[in-house]
Amino acid sequence: MRGYSRRQFLAAGGGTLGAVASGVVLAGHVWPQLTREDLVPGTAPEVVLQPEAWESAPDRVRFAAIGDNGSGGRQAMAVARRMAEAYGIAPFGFVSLLGDICYYGRFEDRYHDVFARPMGPLLDAGVSFELAIGNHDDDLRHTDEGSEQIEAELRLLNTPNTYYRTSHGPADLFYVDSSVPGVFGPGSKTQWEWLDDELSASVNQWKVVLLHHPLYSSGRHGSTFGAREVLEPILRRHHVDLVLAGHDHHYERTHPQHGITHVVSGGGCKNTRVGSSDFTAAAASILQFLLIDIVEDRLVARCVGVDGSVADRFELRAREGR
Amino acid sequence: MSERFDAIAPPVYAIVDFTVIVAPALAFKLASDRGGLGDAKGLDLVVASAVLASIHAVIAGARLRDEERIAVRRADMWIAAMDALVVLGLAATLLPAFVFWGFADEHASIADRGYPVVFLWVGVQLVAVALAEVTGRFVFWWLEPHRRLLHRNPGPPTPDEIV
Repeated sequence: MRGYSRRQFLAAGGGTLGAVASGVVLAGHVWPQLTREDLVPGTAPEVVLQPEAWESAPDRVRFAAIGDNGSGGRQAMAVARRMAEAYGIAPFGFVSLLGDICYYGRFEDRYHDVFARPMGPLLDAGVSFELAIGNHDDDLRHTDEGSEQIEAELRLLNTPNTYYRTSHGPADLFYVDSSVPGVFGPGSKTQWEWLDDELSASVNQWKVVLLHHPLYSSGRHGSTFGAREVLEPILRRHHVDLVLAGHDHHYERTHPQHGITHVVSGGGCKNTRVGSSDFTAAAASILQFLLIDIVEDRLVARCVGVDGSVADRFELRAREGR
Repeated sequence: MSERFDAIAPPVYAIVDFTVIVAPALAFKLASDRGGLGDAKGLDLVVASAVLASIHAVIAGARLRDEERIAVRRADMWIAAMDALVVLGLAATLLPAFVFWGFADEHASIADRGYPVVFLWVGVQLVAVALAEVTGRFVFWWLEPHRRLLHRNPGPPTPDEIV
């Protein structure tokens, strides 16, 4: 074109191409990640807690549940700090981890970052941790490396298996492996038969199932229909009271579905938007964890936000007709 | 009209430059605010970016004003300025994200030393700013090589001297 030099064309063309490429990369990948992730390193909570201060009795139990808290970033530390402060007010003896306890690397390498530092005050107070493994904990599960990752998590958290049962006061907790191999893989039948048997054998007042992938969710990932199809008949048959899950980075509670209340508590360090579905009773796109108090046949749960506010509170009565 | 445009262009360019540098820190802050964190701690990166961005906005505005004065062809100045902005936009966002993501194993040691997440942030963004500044100046120099000839042979360049 008359009046423009070859160099001008090259520089302008390079700039235009760069602008288009930058736009695609930034808008399509980087910016959504920046607003969803928890990448800025955080300072560990410095809270000193009274060791083993929780009350133990056969008719009551108090515990916390947190999902998707494995970043080691500022938001993870803030939620962990709030959880330690909650222990200071009303001590609890254990924490249920609803999966994805390690992002951005291997758990063995990041154990200090994502677990020992944020949970330090609770660990020092003697609080124990029970894990339902998540998809980020076993991304490469079909490989040797993935299996090693799971084994490392189970070993470091003293977890007996990828699925197992614990009992606390009046509640039996059933931790389920909801990953694809766990739900549909070669060993999945064994797990479902185990769950069926364990739920049948459970004589405690409360039956709570904990897994990573939610059967009901209005969030970014949404409901896990495959797991729902397999799992729901078993849960209905045994009158399970409550299902706790993570995976989606928000809080959501359903109206009872076939008598079972489902809760997503995945705001342990990241935060994504949540919509509303027919089954939604309460939902909030916040950083949060759950505090659950069970006294005899009454359960009170609170969704505690990172700012200390209670975003949702609900009560359940142990289901009748068992 | 041209004089008015020349007067307005550098400050407008400086404002865009400022926004591009501050945007990633603002994104982090807004994301944590949306989650309910909303405390003043998240402001440290925003403030650090804003200080860096203010300094660079002044430098970038001055560069543009300087080039307005010396450019033989106005298009050279704008091509160089836009190229610098593209590099800045990409690097100021991508480099911090890459450093925090790629070196996640170092998070604890960085935070535990009490240091310097904010220094690291500024350092990485400083690299982005330097890349943009070098790009802007180099492209302008590359597009107007006749400026070198002007030192030897003052006067308007002949068509043959303009590459």
